[in-house]
Amino acid sequence: MKVWAIVERSASGPRRVSLEIAAKAKELGDATAIEVTGLERYSSLPAVGPLATKAKADAPDLILVGATPTGRDLGARLAARLGWAYASEATDLAVEDGAATITRTMYAGKVRATVRATLPAVVSVRPGAFTLKSGAAEPVVESVTADASAEKLAFQRFEPSAAASGRIPLAEARVVVSGGRGLRGPENWKQVEELAGILGAALGASRAVTDAGWRPNEEQVGQTGRTVTPDLYIALGISGAIQHLAGMTSSKVIVAVNKDPEADIFKVADYGVVGDLFEFLPAFTEEVKKAKAAA
Amino acid sequence: MKILVCVKQTPDSTVRVKVAADGRSVDASQITWAISPYDEYAVELALERKDADPSTTVAVVTLGAARGRDALRQALAMGCDEAILVSGQGAETLQGSAVARALAKVVEEAKADLVLCGRQASDDDQGLVGLALAEALGWPHVSTITKFAPADAGPAGSFNGIDVWKEVEGGHEVWRASGPAVLTVQKSEKDPRYPSLPGIMKAKKKEIPEKDVAALGIDARAPSLEIVKMEPPPARGGGKILKDGDMKQTAAELVRLLREEAKVL
Repeated sequence: MKVWAIVERSASGPRRVSLEIAAKAKELGDATAIEVTGLERYSSLPAVGPLATKAKADAPDLILVGATPTGRDLGARLAARLGWAYASEATDLAVEDGAATITRTMYAGKVRATVRATLPAVVSVRPGAFTLKSGAAEPVVESVTADASAEKLAFQRFEPSAAASGRIPLAEARVVVSGGRGLRGPENWKQVEELAGILGAALGASRAVTDAGWRPNEEQVGQTGRTVTPDLYIALGISGAIQHLAGMTSSKVIVAVNKDPEADIFKVADYGVVGDLFEFLPAFTEEVKKAKAAA
Repeated sequence: MKILVCVKQTPDSTVRVKVAADGRSVDASQITWAISPYDEYAVELALERKDADPSTTVAVVTLGAARGRDALRQALAMGCDEAILVSGQGAETLQGSAVARALAKVVEEAKADLVLCGRQASDDDQGLVGLALAEALGWPHVSTITKFAPADAGPAGSFNGIDVWKEVEGGHEVWRASGPAVLTVQKSEKDPRYPSLPGIMKAKKKEIPEKDVAALGIDARAPSLEIVKMEPPPARGGGKILKDGDMKQTAAELVRLLREEAKVL
């Protein structure tokens, strides 16, 4: 069985999720890691054409992409171009009898579904779904040159968000520190940022906070925001509306800090702290700092 | 400019979703239906354009069960000008890529300049239909947008291309589409508007033409994605709760637990 893994690159090399799917592709069969080159900025039409041409010639049974914003954009359009089955945000995947059995969430995380996709198929895989073994060899990446003539859009400019600080992308982070209304105001995010910095964590937020304009939309975790599945999710002053829980309950370990012992967030927490956030947070940051220094 | 917004009727996001007795669908008896949240943002963005330029026409379409009429009525009450229901036998079970082909027919018949969809429906969470629709039309798409505006001031009512703000990691990319395009919406800057009372009255009187999906003459065959099993997400809870203590001690204890027990620090 032939499996492709489409590789996405950041400034520091292939993205982690790309390495994860490349390793999974190897496990599944005859693997090829492919990257689209020649684009300063990803755009679907120049990327999809050459990939589809190559896919028709090489006839892979399965194409894996990372479920990043780019991966989901490319994966869906490529599947449509090829007329193949498509499934997004897989958290597990097995292949037998000409079909892929995929585990994925539906209803914004409220349901876990097992679906069967006929092959050939394109599947986007959630970051962290397949753990990368340490010391795994970096894949040899084949490149496919983008077709600039297929472009129908024109890039104008990039507008950075005011609060973004060049942090780790939320969807791929192994640790996420999220803040809610319990933080009382945007000025108190300095403390959240400090903790996140020490933990190497991405910043998240509840919808109440992004709606109030305290934090940019892209940090919103939950339904109509991002779904995250880190090893550690720390919810600070978040009460746990069902829409928020949908976006983070698949995290491996959940820590919640809230002054209300009845808050719904405690129903999904592995470790809960009931108490004053502003007393707890500096003390916790200090303890984490000590622990990191000792490690 | 004519904008067509594609909406899907899905379970209201505030309700719990229960798996049905067959173990492969959800219990429909417990559901309140609503416009899928991202689609509602798409309606809002389209209506904001109409607010800014009243010569804009906003049509809304849904494909699926006949109850989708309620979602259309809601969109009309918010201020959309016209609504189209695509329903009939097989409409509810149509696979995503076939839905996209059916919608492409509607776009062509409506002679829309611009199509807006939510970035994904809140039931299947696939994020396929909008992009497959662009593919079926041969149009470019921009996904996860939060804003769009006319690129240049042209003669009133004419379509001179648009600038589109696409949400990406760390900010927004601005892309210009000089022809028709499909945009999938991440969020609108303002919350979707509530229908006004006059809006509701007007919407009640509007005809909602129903198209039979079979009459669109599309190839309904599609690579299948079959649901084998549905289950609630793994139960959580029963976690350790630390309270009533001195916060310094609590913080130290939590760090110890995260290191030694959970092994995540």
